[in-house]
Amino acid sequence: MSAAAVSNGLPFRRWLTLSVAGFVAFFAIWWLIAASGLVQRQFLPTPPEVIEKFVALTQSPFVGYTLQQHLASSFGRFASGFGLAVLIGVPLGLLMGWFRWLDAIVTPLFDALRFVAPIAWVPFAALWFGTGIGGPMLIIFSGAFPPCVINAYRGAKFVEPRFIEAAQTLGASHFRMITEVLLPASIPSIVAGLRISAGLGWQSLVGAELIVASSGIGYLLVKGQANISTSIVMSGMIAIGIVGFAIDALLRVLERRINARRGIAG
Amino acid sequence: MTPSQARRPTAWVGVLTFLVLAATWYALTTLTHTISPGRFPAPGETWDALRQIAITGYADARLHEHILHSVKLVLLGFAAATLVGVPLGLAMGASRAFEAFINPSFLLIRPIPPLAWIPLAIVWLGLGDAAKVLIIWFAAFVPAVINSYSGVRAIEPHLLEAARTLGVPRTMFVREVLIPGALPMIFTGLRLSLQACWTTLVAGELIGAIAGLGHVLYQASLDIFPAMIVVGMAAVAVTGAAMTALLGAVERRAMPWRAR
Amino acid sequence: MRRQIAALAAGITLGFATTAASAQQITEIKISYQPALYWALPFYVAEQKGWYAELGLKPVFSTFPAGVPQIAASASKSWDVGGAGSVPATLGAVRYNLLTIGITNDESYGNALLATAKTADGFMKNPSSIKGQTIVLTANSTGDYAVQSCLAKWGLKKSDVTVKSMGQAEIISAMSSGNADLGGLWAPNTYTMEEKAGAKQICSGQDAGAAVPGALMARADYARENPQNVAKFLAVYLRAWMWLNAHQAEGIAMMKKFYEQGGVTISEASMKKEFSTRPTFDLAAQLKIMRRPPGGASEVDGWFTKIGAFMQANGTFPEAPAASKFITDEYMKMVDADPKLKAFASRSD
Repeated sequence: MSAAAVSNGLPFRRWLTLSVAGFVAFFAIWWLIAASGLVQRQFLPTPPEVIEKFVALTQSPFVGYTLQQHLASSFGRFASGFGLAVLIGVPLGLLMGWFRWLDAIVTPLFDALRFVAPIAWVPFAALWFGTGIGGPMLIIFSGAFPPCVINAYRGAKFVEPRFIEAAQTLGASHFRMITEVLLPASIPSIVAGLRISAGLGWQSLVGAELIVASSGIGYLLVKGQANISTSIVMSGMIAIGIVGFAIDALLRVLERRINARRGIAG
Repeated sequence: MTPSQARRPTAWVGVLTFLVLAATWYALTTLTHTISPGRFPAPGETWDALRQIAITGYADARLHEHILHSVKLVLLGFAAATLVGVPLGLAMGASRAFEAFINPSFLLIRPIPPLAWIPLAIVWLGLGDAAKVLIIWFAAFVPAVINSYSGVRAIEPHLLEAARTLGVPRTMFVREVLIPGALPMIFTGLRLSLQACWTTLVAGELIGAIAGLGHVLYQASLDIFPAMIVVGMAAVAVTGAAMTALLGAVERRAMPWRAR
Repeated sequence: MRRQIAALAAGITLGFATTAASAQQITEIKISYQPALYWALPFYVAEQKGWYAELGLKPVFSTFPAGVPQIAASASKSWDVGGAGSVPATLGAVRYNLLTIGITNDESYGNALLATAKTADGFMKNPSSIKGQTIVLTANSTGDYAVQSCLAKWGLKKSDVTVKSMGQAEIISAMSSGNADLGGLWAPNTYTMEEKAGAKQICSGQDAGAAVPGALMARADYARENPQNVAKFLAVYLRAWMWLNAHQAEGIAMMKKFYEQGGVTISEASMKKEFSTRPTFDLAAQLKIMRRPPGGASEVDGWFTKIGAFMQANGTFPEAPAASKFITDEYMKMVDADPKLKAFASRSD
């Protein structure tokens, strides 16, 4: 997508000033509403109060662990669910892009399951996996899986026909076609899918941790709620937001690097 | 996009797939008992559960009442997300300055999962529809913003140039250039928004619902009633697909110039 | 290089084998419970004191946020024995053949209907004003049972009120922010609401004359295959209560740590109240309440039959389970019959 505006972006100074202003405005409005008494103070703490609680959570444990430890625990669950989604989803998408019969079989299933929220799988996760990482993994997997498949599929489907023809003329087997033609050509789409997938997977984490009662940022959130501590709840939300943002930023850098190497404008 | 002629055989394969799956489901559960009923319900049980909820009722209402309740919430959330998200996305796309100012707030809110807003939604808005719609809104407004924004960015630069040179006044610019140009991507955003509404519905109805498909799913999980959970999931899928199809019809009407 | 690694591996394996052979027969047992609850405290205390190891058991604990996921997890054999409320235990009996092998405590006082500070006095003076109100509670729980028993006590029907089901954390949020006036909670959430939001307990299961027991459970097939382990598990649990009742001060200190791990901080007065309002049962008492006269029902049978009827009326299952089918004192009897286990279970040191 090329830059449409004639003015090719703002000068850096202006962009920086406006961004900082926007950032400050967000907290200013929050602070104002909190201080105005529109909402009970207990249920809308001011930014400094939340930050104080956030820092406190990194130093002293709440429900057994510090904030970082909870995050690490959650990240482990996320990584396994996301990893599995990529491992199964990307190859499946490529195969669907190549074998039309597979596409015809899987697509209706996909369309059917698309509206089912990851959280709806929680009871089955408890039933099938009980304790351990399997349960949360299933929830995160159900959130992260679709974009992996869809983007790999789209990437494979829209590969330049002449590449495919060339490979076919050279007598490429199905396996080689997929691994040496479709996969490389689909990388930009796949990586874009990874970003969306990671985002959805990380978001499913709170739902995934509904059956967990040991550690995790989602668990911390619920316990903060049960303690009538809005600061803890908001600290948890901020932590989730920061890590989610970081994961996305990292993948965006990866996406840009890969696209740059191929001469595609990021 | 595959042309509609090529779609028909695919549709038949789709039907065939479902039949094969249904047969396998039946075989694995009722015939061979490979999958025990405690793990996943058999077709017979699921059918019984469907009859129960449709005729006698389950979770304080009957199926059509649950569906209506959920559709109402989805429409409210969808409307709120569209009314806020689309103009916001358009404005961000049209003005770099506005984008720079708003982006930080958007980036701060966006990664927080809708489910995580439940504690705050309850204490701020109580247990009524407003709290549920808020949860749905958080999920649905993101695709609306992003896609409207991308829609503006995708407008051919020379169209914008032309409008600028001709000195088109602001309102006419928005109405005749910006919106029609961005409309395809706006509709993509709306479709994603609607999908997000349905997936977040389950989370939203955790806040004191007395009816609704999410409420059915929650009650069925408390009763450990897998057959009813499957019925609930199926109902969500069917209703969601139906609404999406309706949206598709609206899309085709709104953009007759797009050969699909 | 490879040969050296193989030799090293062989040496280590041999070392382990020898150690294992000379060590005591330690068997693993998977125990489940929910954190920060009074009846789960004995599990914590017993582990801290090393009493499981004394009987040759190595406990592998799993915790669950609520009874329902805990029961669901038994389907995949993730745990062998554990504790839960009587309502989830009954659900477990119906769905997954879970046996109730003992009573954790009598928590009739600890499951109650609470009202916010503003409305509590009004409702207490005139309970019929509860008609038409909304009550938030967790469906299919002991809290649900207590609330509905209270309504029955006041001559109100479930249809006279609007019941909204949600998790305990959501109930706390709703009540503390004034978005719900009436809620069904269980301890220690009741104390959290009283201390941090000024709510008042207006009727408990005890007030309504409904006995709300907590249950010790075992998977039926595990119990069948490992009866000794189940008996040992019971013996350790009983000993822990003996100790806690004899050393309340120390017990409260451990309770504070245990509750904090589960994210609950309540005052010492409330913790003391847990001890004083929730009777526990030693071996003799367990046998007494579980004893079935020939052709008749035990006291525990009576409690669970009422609970089963309540769940059936809620539509959780079409038919309530027969108490005699899933409640068994067989394993308590095993503890009683074995002099070593009986002595162990009667120790309060």
